[in-house]
Amino acid sequence: MFDTALTTADFVFLAKGAGMTIVVTIISVIAGTVLGIVFGVIRYQLGAIWAAPLIFVLDIFRSIPLLIQLVLANAFMGTILRLNMSGFTVACIVLSMYTAAYCAEIVRGGIEAVPATTRRAARSLGMSWGQDMREIVLPLATRVALPSWIGLALGVMKDSALVYVVQVTELLRSTQILITRLQEPLLLLMICGAFYFVISFPLARFGGYLEKRWSND
Amino acid sequence: MFNYTFQWKQAMARLPQMLDGAVVTMQVAILSMVLGILLAIILTMFRLSGIRILSAVAKTWVEIARNTPALFQIYMAHFGLGSFGLHLSPFLSILIGITFNNAGYLTENFRGALKAIPDTQTRAARSLGMGAAGAFRHVVLPQMLRISFLPMTNQMVWAILMTSLGVTVGMNTDLYGVTQDLNALTFRTFELFALAAVIFYAITKIVTLGARLIAARLFRY
Amino acid sequence: MKPTFAISLLAAAAAFAAPSHADKLDDIIASGTLRCAVVLDFPPMGMRDESNTPVGFDVDYCNDLAAALGVKAEIVETPFPERIPALMSGRVDVGVASTSDTLERAKTVGMSIPYFAFEMAVTANDKSGIASFEDMKGKTVGATAGTFEAIALEKQVKEWGEGTFRPYQTQADVFLALSQGQLDATVSTSTVAQSNVKTGNFPGISVVGKAPFDIDYVALFTNREEYGLINYLNLFVNQQVRTGRYAELYEKWVGGDLPSLTVDGVHR
Repeated sequence: MFDTALTTADFVFLAKGAGMTIVVTIISVIAGTVLGIVFGVIRYQLGAIWAAPLIFVLDIFRSIPLLIQLVLANAFMGTILRLNMSGFTVACIVLSMYTAAYCAEIVRGGIEAVPATTRRAARSLGMSWGQDMREIVLPLATRVALPSWIGLALGVMKDSALVYVVQVTELLRSTQILITRLQEPLLLLMICGAFYFVISFPLARFGGYLEKRWSND
Repeated sequence: MFNYTFQWKQAMARLPQMLDGAVVTMQVAILSMVLGILLAIILTMFRLSGIRILSAVAKTWVEIARNTPALFQIYMAHFGLGSFGLHLSPFLSILIGITFNNAGYLTENFRGALKAIPDTQTRAARSLGMGAAGAFRHVVLPQMLRISFLPMTNQMVWAILMTSLGVTVGMNTDLYGVTQDLNALTFRTFELFALAAVIFYAITKIVTLGARLIAARLFRY
Repeated sequence: MKPTFAISLLAAAAAFAAPSHADKLDDIIASGTLRCAVVLDFPPMGMRDESNTPVGFDVDYCNDLAAALGVKAEIVETPFPERIPALMSGRVDVGVASTSDTLERAKTVGMSIPYFAFEMAVTANDKSGIASFEDMKGKTVGATAGTFEAIALEKQVKEWGEGTFRPYQTQADVFLALSQGQLDATVSTSTVAQSNVKTGNFPGISVVGKAPFDIDYVALFTNREEYGLINYLNLFVNQQVRTGRYAELYEKWVGGDLPSLTVDGVHR
């Protein structure tokens, strides 16, 4: 159908890049979510004033281009601390913090969405703080937070396209490498875009569906 | 403490050049935001028009913008369109790439905002003799923009951050491009990019604070 | 007895806290791997073959260096603007990446003696009507960000006072933009220009002449303070020329007149 010089080996090469994109995304989203929940709860418990240092630090990750975060972290860990870290590790660390910074806000929003009266009722029934958090806040807050969290996870997958800057060959970079050799930019870019779309679109739809379903009752 | 000699002076000497870059970054961000809002309003009207082909255009736009990386969209605006013989300068490529992205996300935000505006208002406006367009323009639109003000601020911040992707399409006058050029000359990576990070932070803070002030003035009631 | 024990403990602790810093040359030999930064979209110096494995002059050069050191070579692909950051962040040991030995850069990294020399050529899109370097005045020209020729060309465009200069992230993007007509012309090393035109991947472009820039001597580079390694690199470059390996690699990847790596009238 297409007159192309693309070989099976090239598809394997692209698939490897796609695999890298997925691995980096999964690691960062998991680590970032765990951190984000911790930060989010701390942020909520301490209140805006006492949590100011935490808010400031997390805000930095949301106010500086990811590309610069990656370049800086790379230079800092390697040039200044002289840690022998692979680009993959640096990419995962930076993306995890980036995820955590956004996730903390989502978590806080979720907790705040649980009516104070419900929580007071739980506590007055003799539940401990931990019980209240686990049995009351967690299920209710998850309903509010999950759709945004799915959006965040997909955002991280798309933003992982930038880790090329620390020498990690993910999907978009693999595509560029093939463009260099084959000079078929349009076809290759279409394949690359289609891949992101195929993963992102159904999940985004699912998030939208959850949001709709859960906001109705 | 560190086995590394910081050379902040070298970086600070380049500060004026970097601030010039910051101005270009702001130009791109503001232009892409204005165009993005206009396009998003048009796309929202497409969606509401009930004409199948128009709502399909709006839907496709939104889904592509939201489900592919911004870097991909910008690369496409330059090299993708280039394969069709459509040649855009780096400035236009990055502007179009970010505008495309902004319009997609904002249309989705507007959709959410529309849900918060009761249908009864439109019906009331229509029964008072307003046309469909008039009702949208005078009744729905102002409220929609007001409700979406916070998401718009967020999108503005993202637009600023996205300008850093311009280097992939040959942009070298924006803040990131200038920093990278200077880095190629001196290889003082950490110092230069740390300075760029501070400037980006300052810009985004000024924008969010400014937006908050505007919101306080516009929407107090 | 006790104080002696304490002292020896202290000494041990001190020794542990500040290990006698083995230099990079030792580190490389001990680790058994030499990690080279190579630019892989810079044919014929660095590129990928049909199975996407790295090949080219720089790749062979890195392999030779690793063989001399008795270790395994690992090619780390770095785009032009990321070469030095990759070294500075400890991701690579040595750069074999056609890096011009400018004084500005030598403030940050340590350069070996030149291991290759480039002449600069002008490649133009046939539709632009550019037939020489001077014709580029007032046109849209570009080069790879962070390279010698990009810095020189940008300066030249500023001097002309008209036309625009655009740096792209990779050499491939430059030629892609050139063949699409986004750029009217580019200045690149003549080897790269010929190699790219020859592939036939880029229709409608041709090499139109030389650019009057200085000969671009390129050097291997490593951390500035690693004198031991820099010494080794210098001797290695010297040996490559002496043993005829330099000529052999030149014939294999480039062909034609072997560029001289020495400058008349000065030492080194």
